[in-house]
Amino acid sequence: MRRAILTIGSTAAGLAALLSFKTHTSAADVAEPGVSPSASSAAAATPAASMAPSAKPKASSTASPAKMKATASAGSGGSMTTRTITGTAETTLYGPMQVKVTLDGTKITNVAVVQETNDGQESQSIDSFSIPKLTAETLTAQSARIDTVSGATATSTGYIGSLQSALDQATA
Amino acid sequence: MPTQPAAPRPAPAPSARPLRPGRGIARLVLPVLVLSLIGLGALAVIGLWWQSTPRPTTTGALITDAGDVLGLLAGYGFVILVGLMARLPPLEKGIGSDRLARWHAMGGRYVITLVSAHVPLIVWGYAVSAHVQVTSETATLLTTYPDVLMATVAWFLLLGVAAFSARAARRRLAYETWYYAHLYTYLAIALAFSHQFADGPAFQTNATARIAWSALYATVGALIVWYRVITPLLRSARHHFTVDYVRPEAPGIVSVFITGRDLDRLRAEPGQFFRWRFLTRELWWQSHPYSLSAMPSPDQMRITVKASGDHSGSLADLAPGTRIFAEGPYGAFTPLLTGRRVLFIAGGVGITPIRAMFAALPKRMSGGITLLYRASHPRDVVFSRELNAIAADRRAALHYLIGSRDELGYDPLDADNLQYAVPGLHRYEAYVCGPPGMTQTAVAALRAAGIPSRRIHHESFDF
Repeated sequence: MRRAILTIGSTAAGLAALLSFKTHTSAADVAEPGVSPSASSAAAATPAASMAPSAKPKASSTASPAKMKATASAGSGGSMTTRTITGTAETTLYGPMQVKVTLDGTKITNVAVVQETNDGQESQSIDSFSIPKLTAETLTAQSARIDTVSGATATSTGYIGSLQSALDQATA
Repeated sequence: MPTQPAAPRPAPAPSARPLRPGRGIARLVLPVLVLSLIGLGALAVIGLWWQSTPRPTTTGALITDAGDVLGLLAGYGFVILVGLMARLPPLEKGIGSDRLARWHAMGGRYVITLVSAHVPLIVWGYAVSAHVQVTSETATLLTTYPDVLMATVAWFLLLGVAAFSARAARRRLAYETWYYAHLYTYLAIALAFSHQFADGPAFQTNATARIAWSALYATVGALIVWYRVITPLLRSARHHFTVDYVRPEAPGIVSVFITGRDLDRLRAEPGQFFRWRFLTRELWWQSHPYSLSAMPSPDQMRITVKASGDHSGSLADLAPGTRIFAEGPYGAFTPLLTGRRVLFIAGGVGITPIRAMFAALPKRMSGGITLLYRASHPRDVVFSRELNAIAADRRAALHYLIGSRDELGYDPLDADNLQYAVPGLHRYEAYVCGPPGMTQTAVAALRAAGIPSRRIHHESFDF
């Protein structure tokens, strides 16, 4: 019995260490909010940036995990045609909203958040569930013509606006 | 004296296959090597998780990541658990079936725990990310995610098997009920396999990982089929194991003499056992491990069994000519020729493998062999004529320690009595076989006498 407690305890400790290590490393891969308002090519050099948080959790029912393949595959791509373009920062009631989009040729392979709304209150928790849904919808639609997420209108509008501006830059 | 059957025959002659000298280095190194390889594999699995997982930025992602890595480790753990039971000859010979079974049991409990943490963490993490109730997320997972329903069934199967295997349950169950319940783990592993690729972020986009993972599962599956099914079938066909006759040795103890073709070519070593399946209407579906009590001659070998369950009890009624399906030889409880003096300690029917080992030691070891034979009652002693003859031939010391501890008023196998009975005890290589309590006492006494544990060899009965 003591051995069982010891084993489970050390497994839990190892898991906690692993996760905290994961959380605190590879920070360079993800642009910090509020850093690059218009540096449209800065992130292109880091293909790992496409491994965005939005790729991870389950999104809406429109995006099954199998469809999320597209999201993660850009990370290992690194071909000449892979581009990352940052959209404009859209002002919303709750602060600026800015995304960058990764394209493999003309295919949208990922959308990562550069800045997200922050009013010091609920907006972060709203973003944490709405942004994955928006990203999943984008990857399915392959355009910025996606539905807003109910309960997160401001975030959705800002997201779609910033995404559209990035896609406009890509086709320009 | 036990009553002899109508046509008594002499015990089979000792094996022609001589023991080879060695210090048992492989037996010391192999367990460490195997455990290290298992650990390295687990690290590789964590590495796979690491490179496929982005930095978690939300609580939901963090919880999901934890569930992912536990799921991966469990998927790996199942392969290892099955592999340990694949009857790989180097593992059976170098580590021993009893130790492998203990590893399997310990690892099994651990892997079940991993799975049982993986499931709620995934549900919880997905629910937090999607901002929905755990109950509705559970429904979503079961209905919309590919193969999750099958994997959930697999989880329930595993929990059922775990409940059957829990020690308390196992004592109340027949060995066979437990064994056949265990076979459902194969079904569970098959059911849970596909959800790993369909839903696991480590595999969705990584074809190399999918191939390697499939190869791992396929390899272990092939080993199981080869060593647990095909090899025994081929061996039983070639050697044509058949019951020759059954001889009662003592109340509740019988020897089964087995004939066949080229039995000496089985390469059995003294102290090893086979898993026997007697093909009668009542017994064909059960397979039990019994040690050889005499080494095979070309056409005969012998096992000796105490009636302790339904199976061992019904062996007395085996008819001559009954066909036998046998798996083996297995077991790492075999004598090493290290040049040291040898001490055997046998308790009850634990004399069976010791008897085979005792007879197999070479003549040149004359004077350096001691056998202590512990029994609660004189009528439980078997092979006394054979043992006396071998002891005289080898000039070995043979002591019968008879009487229960209550009657004797002391334990003849405790440290003091053992050192008194065997002068210079710390210089011996020791082999112990008997019921668990006796084995524990004897091993502790031998350690207390200064014998390092690498020179104390024992095998436990119950696996």
